[in-house]
Amino acid sequence: MADAVATRETLRVVGRAVSRHDARDKVAAATAYAADWALPGMLHAAVLRSPYPSARILKLDTARAVALPGVAVVLTAKDVPRNTLATDVPGQTTTVGPLRATLHVLAEDRVRHQGEPVALVAAETLEQARAAVEAIDVEYERTPGVFTPEAALAPGAPRVHDTGNLLAQWRIARGDVATALARAAVVVEGEYTTQLVDAAYLEPESGVAWIDSDGVITIRLSTQVIEHFRDVAEVLQVPQNRVRVIGTYLGGGFGGKEDVTVEVYLGLLALKTGRPVKMVWTRQESLLARAKRHPYRMRYRTGAAATGEIVAQQIELLGDAGAYAYLSALVLLYSTVTAGGPYRVPNVEVQARVAYTNNPPTSAMRGFGGMQTVFAYESQLDRVARALGMDPVEIRRVNALRRGDSLPVGQVVETHVALPELCEQAWAALGPPTPPRAPHVRVGRGLACNLQPYGRIVWLHDWSSAWVGFEMDGSLVVRCGVPDVGGGQASSLCQIAAEILGVSLERVSVHISDSALTPLAGTTTASRQLYMSGNAVLKASRELREQLLGVAVTMLGADAGALTMADDLVRGPGGRTLALPDLLRQCARAGVPRGHLAVYNAPAGEPVDLATGSGKVFPDYTYGAHAAEVEVDTETGVVRLLRYAAAHDVGRAINPQSVEGQIQGGAVQGLGYGLMEEVVVEDGINLTTSFATYLIPTAADVPDVEPVVVESGEGLGPFNARGIGEPPIGPPAAAVANAIADATGARLTRLPITAERVARALGRLDGEP
Amino acid sequence: MIARMVLNGRPRELDVRPEQTLLEALRDTLGIFDVKEGCGEGVCGVCTVLLDGRPVSSCLVLAPAVRGRAVTTLRGLERDGGLHPLQEAFVRYGAVQCGFCTPGMLLTALAFLEREPRPDRERIRAALEGNLCRCTGYTKIVDAVEAYVRDNGHG
Amino acid sequence: MHPFEYAAPETLPDALALLREHGEDAKVLAGGQSLVPILTYRLAKPRLVVDINALPFGEVTAENGRLRLGALVRHHQLEESETIRRRCPVLADAARLIGNVRVRSLGTVGGSLAHADPAAELPAVMTALDARLTLASAGGQRHVDARDFFTGLLTTALSSEELLVAIDVPAVPAHGWAVEELSRRAGDFAVVAVVALVSVDRQGHVDDARVAFAGVADQPVRARAAEDALRGHEPTTERLGRAATAARAALAPPSDAFVSGEYRRLVAGVLCRRALARAVARALEAR
Repeated sequence: MADAVATRETLRVVGRAVSRHDARDKVAAATAYAADWALPGMLHAAVLRSPYPSARILKLDTARAVALPGVAVVLTAKDVPRNTLATDVPGQTTTVGPLRATLHVLAEDRVRHQGEPVALVAAETLEQARAAVEAIDVEYERTPGVFTPEAALAPGAPRVHDTGNLLAQWRIARGDVATALARAAVVVEGEYTTQLVDAAYLEPESGVAWIDSDGVITIRLSTQVIEHFRDVAEVLQVPQNRVRVIGTYLGGGFGGKEDVTVEVYLGLLALKTGRPVKMVWTRQESLLARAKRHPYRMRYRTGAAATGEIVAQQIELLGDAGAYAYLSALVLLYSTVTAGGPYRVPNVEVQARVAYTNNPPTSAMRGFGGMQTVFAYESQLDRVARALGMDPVEIRRVNALRRGDSLPVGQVVETHVALPELCEQAWAALGPPTPPRAPHVRVGRGLACNLQPYGRIVWLHDWSSAWVGFEMDGSLVVRCGVPDVGGGQASSLCQIAAEILGVSLERVSVHISDSALTPLAGTTTASRQLYMSGNAVLKASRELREQLLGVAVTMLGADAGALTMADDLVRGPGGRTLALPDLLRQCARAGVPRGHLAVYNAPAGEPVDLATGSGKVFPDYTYGAHAAEVEVDTETGVVRLLRYAAAHDVGRAINPQSVEGQIQGGAVQGLGYGLMEEVVVEDGINLTTSFATYLIPTAADVPDVEPVVVESGEGLGPFNARGIGEPPIGPPAAAVANAIADATGARLTRLPITAERVARALGRLDGEP
Repeated sequence: MIARMVLNGRPRELDVRPEQTLLEALRDTLGIFDVKEGCGEGVCGVCTVLLDGRPVSSCLVLAPAVRGRAVTTLRGLERDGGLHPLQEAFVRYGAVQCGFCTPGMLLTALAFLEREPRPDRERIRAALEGNLCRCTGYTKIVDAVEAYVRDNGHG
Repeated sequence: MHPFEYAAPETLPDALALLREHGEDAKVLAGGQSLVPILTYRLAKPRLVVDINALPFGEVTAENGRLRLGALVRHHQLEESETIRRRCPVLADAARLIGNVRVRSLGTVGGSLAHADPAAELPAVMTALDARLTLASAGGQRHVDARDFFTGLLTTALSSEELLVAIDVPAVPAHGWAVEELSRRAGDFAVVAVVALVSVDRQGHVDDARVAFAGVADQPVRARAAEDALRGHEPTTERLGRAATAARAALAPPSDAFVSGEYRRLVAGVLCRRALARAVARALEAR
C-alpha cells in the first residue's frame, strides 16, 4: 500500500529516534513478564518428557505421583479432551492445504523425539511438581530411529510417521539449466551444511492460566501468537469465545514462541483443577524440547559468464524436520523461493525436500528458511568472483535484481532494489584495512547480501486490525492485538498514531496483545507486524482524523483541506486553533464516534504452482549487505571479528534507533550462527541442554556492528517502510566465511565455523606427530 | 529459618528454606521481580544481584547464605523515586529491546564502574562479557555505558 | 531442588564433626558455583549441605618465601591481592580467566580444586607451582602435593570426611610467567590452557621451568619432558619450540562432542610455545 509521499521535513514523530515507552518500564524492571505473575491458590506445573528419541510406551502409571504430597493432578493423553493439535500457519483463518500439520498434546502410544511430552503435573510447589514428574512410572520399549534426512529417505528406513518420512517437497524449474551450465565460463560446485540451532531467548517459555469469574479460561503468557486461543479451545473442547490469551511483553521470541508452547498445558491444568496454574520451562527443558531451526544440506552448481553474470543455478536442498512437521513445509517454501538470492538467474532448478527424523522438531525461527540459503548462495557467488578475479562489490552489482526482473519462482520485483548501494556502503563502512598484528595472523574481508521476504505469503490473505480513539481529555488510546517481542512493535504503533492525529507521543497509550480485548493483528512473525499492524493503525488513524475533522470544519468555519492536526490541537487558517477536548465534546453531542476500528487487508493473490508458476509469492522483500573484517590465527584456527557493518534498505525508518537495534541484534545472532552455535544431537540424544554448552555470543565475542540504514522510500508498510525483523540475520555467516577465504584461501562450508574446523581447513591437523 | 539481611538499603527478615535460592526467595517469597531466571546455572546473568557490592548470580546463592549481608537489586538504584542516570542512558541510547537482560546489565555495569570509573569501550565490553543479550547485539549497551561515563564525570 | 538440612558451622571442628557423621550424605558448600547447579538440576540430592563460608579460611598470607591461601579465598581476591601480584602473579592471571565476574565474586580456590574440573585453570596452576594442600578431618590434618591431589575425572584425594583448608605455594617473584588459554567462546571454560613459569639465571640459562596443562586429560598434566628440555639451556626460540613439541608429543587428549582430541593436542603445542615465549620474556625483563 503505497503512501502519498510525505517528506521527512513534514513528519514530526515518525522518522525520529524517540525513546520507547516500554524501554522506560524495562530499565526500572516495571514490566511484568509472563513469569512475574502470581495469583492466590496458584499451582505449579511440570512436564514429564521422553528420555528416548524413538520408543513405544508400554506402560504409563501415575499412581505413585498422584499420591505424593501437594500434587493436585497428573494428566496423560487420555485426560486431554482432544489430544490433537494443529500446528500449521499460526492464526490462519483459511485453510492452508499442504501446510497443515498436526501433533499430539501428550504422547499416546509412542514417542518420536527426546523431550516429547508424555504427562503433566500440577502441584502446590514447583519442587513437589518436579518430584511428582520423577515418580511417574513409564515403561518404554526403544525402537529403531533415523537421525539424518538422508537415512530417513533411504529405502527401508524406519518410519517416523505412518505417512512416510518425506514430509514436503517443492520444485522450481525455469529455462535450461543443463545447457547453460555446459556453456558457462565458470562452474562452481559446492555443498554447504548448516546446523541445528536454538532461538535461545533469555526469557524461557512461561505463563499463568486461571479461570476468570465468568468462566473464561484466561492464559497470560509469553507468545508471538495470541490467536492460539483457538487451538487451546479445540484441545479443551470448549467454545473459542471461552478462551482468552493475554500476551505479555516478551523477553525475546525469534520464532521460538510462534508455535504453541505452554498455553495448551496451562489451559488443561486450569480447567482440570479449577485453580490458577503457572508453568515456566527450565533452560534445560527449553534447549531439549523446544522446536529449533532446520539444519540443511545444500548442493549448488552455479554457472557464470566471463562477465560475472550468473547464467544458471542448479540447487538441491535437504532439510531435517525433526519428529513433527510444525511449520517445516512453509519453511522449506521460503528456502525454495529465496534459494537464488537477490540476483537475476535466467536458468534455475531448485529441488527442495524436508524429511522427518527422530531428532528434535524444527519449526519457525528468525529468517524462516530464508536464512540458511544465504550461506550457500553467497559462498557460491564469492567463489565465482574469485575464479573470475572480480571484486565482491562488483560481482553483486552485475547480478543484482532490478525492478522489473523476476525471481526464480516467477515473481516480478516491483519495488526498488538498493543492492549495489548497500554493498558499496557496507564495504566502505569497514574503513581502512587492519594490518595483521603478528606473523601467524591473517586478516581478510568478506561481503554477503541477502533478500528476505516481509509480510505473509500473498495467498494466505493476511490482515490486521487496530482501534484508535480519543479520551475526552484529548489523550489517545491505541488498541491492537500485536505481540511485542522487544523490537518496539508497540511503540511504533504509538508513533504512527501520534503522527497522523497530531498528538504528542507522551499522550498516547497502547494496549496490545489480548485476544479478547484488542482487535486481532495476526502473528508477530514473518517481519510482518510493522507492515500489517502499522498499516492498520495508519488506516484507523486516518479514518478517525477524517471523522473528527468533519466536525472541526463547522467549529472552525474552514474546509477540511485547510485544517491540520498537530501539537495536540486542530489548527485552522488565520491562526485559529481548536483544543482537542472542545472538539471531542462537540463530537459527543453530534453523535460522531471518537474512536475508529480499521482492518488492513494485505493485497492478496492466488496460490502459485512454484514449479511452473509465474506468480507472486511474497508481498515484497528487504535487501541487505553485510561486510566483515576478520583475523584468523593460522596456528589455532581461532577467528576474531575485527570490524562489522550491516546495511539494509528499510524503505522508511519509523524509529531509526529501533531499526539500528534490529540490524545490530540480528547481525550478532547471525554471527552466533556462523561461529559458535550448535545443538549437538547424537543418535537423537541432545548433548547441549545448557547455556554452558549451547554458546551464544557475549559482548566480548563481537565488535561494534555499524548499522547502515538506507531509506529508498519504497516499501509496503506505513510511510513506505519495509520489514526489518528478520533480514539482518541472514548475511553474517556467509560474510564471515567469505572473509576467512579472503584471509587464508580456506573455504569453510559447514556451520558453525569453529576454530577446529578452520584449523582443519588450513591443514593444521594433517598427520601431526 | 530466618535470614536477617539488608535488602536495597533496608533491613529485612526473610523466612526461607535452605533449598531455596536467593533468586527464588526474592521472587517467590518477597515478590521482587527485578531479578529474572534465565538459565538456572549462573551463565546468562539475568539473575544478577549485588552481594556486598559485588555481582553474583542469585540463582547460585542459597537463601540462608545471605544472612548478615547486603543485597542490592535494580530498585536499589533508584534516586528520589526517579531513574538512575545509567538507566536514563539505557533508554536514551536504545540499549533496551526485550529488556530481559537489562537489570543484570545495569547492576553489573555499575559495580564495574565503581572499581574502574573511566573505562574505554573495550574495557566496557569485557566487563559485560558475563551478561548475555540476545536482542541488541551489545553495541547500544556499550554506547549507553560509554555515554554515562562521559556525561556523569566519573573518576 | 530436593529439600535438605542446612548447617553453617563457625569452627573447623564443628564442620569436620558434621562431615564425619554424614559422610557421603553431605555436600560441602563454599562458593556454590559448582554445587548449586547440581542441586538445581536434581543431579544430586544430599541429606545435608554444610555451608563452610563462616570458617576463617579467607586470607592470603605470606611467610618465608611461601604464600598460604586459605581455601575460602575467592577468585576475585587472587585478582586484586597486592601480595599475590608481587609474589605469585601467575595466580592473578589465571584467576582473571575463570568464568565470568559473578563466578569470581563467590567462587573459591578450595572449591575449584576440590571440584577438579579437567578444564579449570587453578588445578593446572597449582600443579605447575607444586602447591601443597592441607586436608583436615576430625582425625587430624594431612598434606597432599598437587601432583597427587587430582586423581581422575572430577576426582581428588579428598575423602567425604575431609575438607581442604589451605593451599601453600612458593613465592616465585623472579619467575617469568604466562597463562595461555583457548576457549570456544570468550569467557568460557578452557578447551586447553597452559601455565608456564620460567626463571633464567645470570648466564642466560633456564634455571627452573614448570609447565602444566588443563583440558588435555582427566586431570592437570605437568609437562616434565618440556621442562627437562629447557632446564640448563638458553631459551632460544628454537629450544622453546622443541620443548613445546615434546610437551605435545606426550599428550593423548580425549575427544568430546564439541572438540576433538587431535585439535586439543594441536592447541596444546601452540599455546605451550606461546606461554613459554611470554614467560621467558617476562623472566628476562625481571632480571
